[in-house]
Amino acid sequence: MPKTYLKSSLVNSVRKFEWFLCIDTIMLTLAGIVLIYSATIPMAGTGRSFVIRQTAWLSLGLIILVLFSFVDYRLLERWGIWIYVFILIALISVSIFGRVTAGSRRWIDLGLMRFQPSEFAKLAVVIVLAKSLSDRPRGRLSNWSEIFKNLVLVIIPAAFVATQPDLGTSIVLLFVAMSMIIFVGFTKRIWTTIGLCMVVSLPLIYLGSKYLLLDYQKKRLMTFLNPDLDPLGAGYQIIQSQIAIGSGGFLGKGFLKGAQNQLMFLPVKHTDFIFAVLAEEWGFVGCLLIIILLMAFMLRGLAISGSAREDFGTILSVGCVSIIFWHVSINVAMVMGVVPVVGVPLSFISYGGSSLLSSFLVTAILASVSSRRFSR
Amino acid sequence: MVQFRSDLVPQNYYGPRILAFSVVVWIVMLGLFIRLWSLQLIMGESFDDMAVENRIRLLRLPPPRGSILDSCGKALAENRASFTFSIVPGAIKAPQKIIEAYADPLGFSPEKMRSVIEKSMLAPKFMSFPIRKNVSLEEVSLMKARACQVKGVSLEARPYRSYPFGSLLCHVLGVTGEISASELEKVGRVGYRPGDYVGKTGIEREYETYLRGEEGWEQIEIDAKGRHLASLTRKPAKAGANIVLTVDASFQRFVEDAFTERAGSVIAVDPDTGRVLAMVSKPGFDPNLFTPTISERNWKSLNSDPLHPLENRSIRGLYPPASTFKLVTALAGLSEGVTTPDKNIFCSGEMGLGGQVYRCWKQHGHGRVNLHRAIVESCDVYFYELGLKLGADRMAKYASLFGLGKPTGLELSQELPGLIPTNFWKERNYGTFIKDGENVTIGIGQGYTLTTPIQLAVMTSALANGGNIMRPYLVEEIKSSDGSVIFQQTPVIRWKMNPDQKIWSIIRKAMRGVVEDRVGTGRKCRIPGLSVYAKTGTSQVVSAREKSMSEEDVPYHERTHAMFVAFVDDQPRKIAIVVVIEHGGGGGKTAAPLARKIICRYYGIPDPGDPKN
Repeated sequence: MPKTYLKSSLVNSVRKFEWFLCIDTIMLTLAGIVLIYSATIPMAGTGRSFVIRQTAWLSLGLIILVLFSFVDYRLLERWGIWIYVFILIALISVSIFGRVTAGSRRWIDLGLMRFQPSEFAKLAVVIVLAKSLSDRPRGRLSNWSEIFKNLVLVIIPAAFVATQPDLGTSIVLLFVAMSMIIFVGFTKRIWTTIGLCMVVSLPLIYLGSKYLLLDYQKKRLMTFLNPDLDPLGAGYQIIQSQIAIGSGGFLGKGFLKGAQNQLMFLPVKHTDFIFAVLAEEWGFVGCLLIIILLMAFMLRGLAISGSAREDFGTILSVGCVSIIFWHVSINVAMVMGVVPVVGVPLSFISYGGSSLLSSFLVTAILASVSSRRFSR
Repeated sequence: MVQFRSDLVPQNYYGPRILAFSVVVWIVMLGLFIRLWSLQLIMGESFDDMAVENRIRLLRLPPPRGSILDSCGKALAENRASFTFSIVPGAIKAPQKIIEAYADPLGFSPEKMRSVIEKSMLAPKFMSFPIRKNVSLEEVSLMKARACQVKGVSLEARPYRSYPFGSLLCHVLGVTGEISASELEKVGRVGYRPGDYVGKTGIEREYETYLRGEEGWEQIEIDAKGRHLASLTRKPAKAGANIVLTVDASFQRFVEDAFTERAGSVIAVDPDTGRVLAMVSKPGFDPNLFTPTISERNWKSLNSDPLHPLENRSIRGLYPPASTFKLVTALAGLSEGVTTPDKNIFCSGEMGLGGQVYRCWKQHGHGRVNLHRAIVESCDVYFYELGLKLGADRMAKYASLFGLGKPTGLELSQELPGLIPTNFWKERNYGTFIKDGENVTIGIGQGYTLTTPIQLAVMTSALANGGNIMRPYLVEEIKSSDGSVIFQQTPVIRWKMNPDQKIWSIIRKAMRGVVEDRVGTGRKCRIPGLSVYAKTGTSQVVSAREKSMSEEDVPYHERTHAMFVAFVDDQPRKIAIVVVIEHGGGGGKTAAPLARKIICRYYGIPDPGDPKN
């Protein structure tokens, strides 16, 4: 009797397991490793270590994925606030003890590995926001104190991240939070007030960007508006990555054959600009395939959010999907020269342990929501 | 269980919003997709032309390394041009041709040339792989003549390091060398590649980030024969910053030439600021031997030399401070109330304790001595007793207050801390506390006590400037390649000792007596017209020595180290000086005259010579 019970529960959980999302995630990460190999092999000496490390992160990610997807996501409702507090402490300590890499202080050195709390801040914000937006009577947000309460939850970590300085991640944080709040919705009265405020604050934003942004951030914005202004400096990244993408053509130049990549014209090509390597070496077809895989991830995530049993699950899943959505759209748009270069990695594909692990945690949360859609 | 609806049908309430989100995802992805379409399939061909594989090559433009200048602006380390022959593995069409054309001028056999080319194939395809560095000008012209026929080789002019003054200040300047695999692993992200030169020791290493500059690059278009057609884009290299040292090369030269003994160290600092005026460690070496790469023979001979010429003794030489430590013991004794200036002790030439006999350096003893006489004549027995009464911990307290036993914070990070023994330290390392007999030897700066010359220089500076422990410094300012000052040194007081003025003046008066008194041990440093304060020291290398042996009979490695610390503080320009002569005999006998010569040179007055009695 217990044996059959065990068997049936195992069969049940295997059947309920979110295979689609997990296989999608693994395919994307493997594609990423192939691209990282191609992007880092011209950097002699340190080249191979990137692939080895990313593979190690993938293995760790898989373990986390399997473990967490069996954990009931409703635990997050209770523990979310502590995760949030922990991340805040980590963000503060990073600004005190953090390692400086390329002018930014983003990492905590744990000896064996380096930990980038800003990558996990996105998840923490999604969890606390999901809790705060679901723990109320259903309906659109109608009073300002409620909206501000939610905004404060995101603005504190976003401010710490922005001072690291990591403009890209803090923008993603704000966009994700805004997506979740707008998903819940405002009443008409609130929308009208927001519209009026925007009109009034435009000049303020102009002044703010003039005085508050750091030099390199300003330079990026300016050269986005006019890349020819500085073709060898800040505009260089945009021009080179467009050349790489454009020269890829329909079928691409083939694995390890990209001239822009192999000649090391491309900037930070194993992290933020990995899409350009993809476009150059695998062409339109390769890009299409990756975009379809990413889109399938998001649409499946949204379907899961619709099937969740309670509001917390729905809003949590929507937040998770919007993390991936904003990463993908900002990164791809930036590499193609549609939006300014703000340093956002491409989820699952870009090199980076913290980024990959947080993406895997997104998958794990969605899988957990998915496998509990029947339970009461 | 009724399960009639498909498992992913949206809930009613949030359904429309999720649908709306899905539509947003579709629209954005479609937008990106259209942009991709237009970049790759419509504008694709024009971009493709810009990236044609075999027409464009990236050349690195290495930045000229910054110079190291002395305080007057004379270059102590600078660059000279030299040529490097390298192979570009990705561009090789016919390896046989390369072997035929270049094996001869390079002096390689065809077989060796072939193996070199095979090795280069493992390197990144379009990066140049250096084969021979420091190619002479004749060889360059010979190679140039053959170059236009063959693809896949390049000849680049590269700057190399040169030290015009040879071994002058070699330990401070340090050397550069090719980046090692482990360094590359550590700094790989910052843009170093195999074959790059980095500072390995000294200022070259500590200020690497300033000296290095910023690499530039040039995209050049080449034709099918590998000829340079046009420069497409170019980012010029930015030269590294120049480091201006506090040391004056001519003064340093004088001090180095005055030091004629085999090994030791001399440091001169400005006691008010901590500015290093001269820093000598002997024996030295010629840093030019290290550029572009040091030959195996030279490396072996430098490394196996028993006098360790590569070691910077000024910051890494560990010596018992010997009698110079008596200043610390005296301060401790007076401050802790263990002794008074008037208290007399009878020195019979030896002191017995626990069956052991501790001898004074003066065989027949000093007779009755008070603290002043004990410092002036460097009476050991007086300080044996004081050390015994104080105990190691109380002496360590004042030694640490003087900055002994820990790094001084000089810019050179290889500095060693030395050792000031305490009961805690002894217990942890040996399991027992410090014994009485050891306290006796610590009182005269022997036993476990080890200090570096730079620490003694900081201690002497403190005695000269009223008790401020200064951070000594070698770098006056850093100037970027366009001449603007990016770093200006300011003196740092690490801490103030806040000594009791009465006690302080007793010790200073005794230091004056060391030079001026008829029986002072440092009489050979007497300079009429200058008030020199000093303390001598003679540190034993082996413990018990038969008195009967004459000095010349003692083997070199068993002779005592000569130590001497001195300062002048009544002139507008002050100086504090430390002289350590390894196995140089007595401090007052060999080190003091050297200090006198250096001080005279510093103030531009003629050397009065050894005083006649």
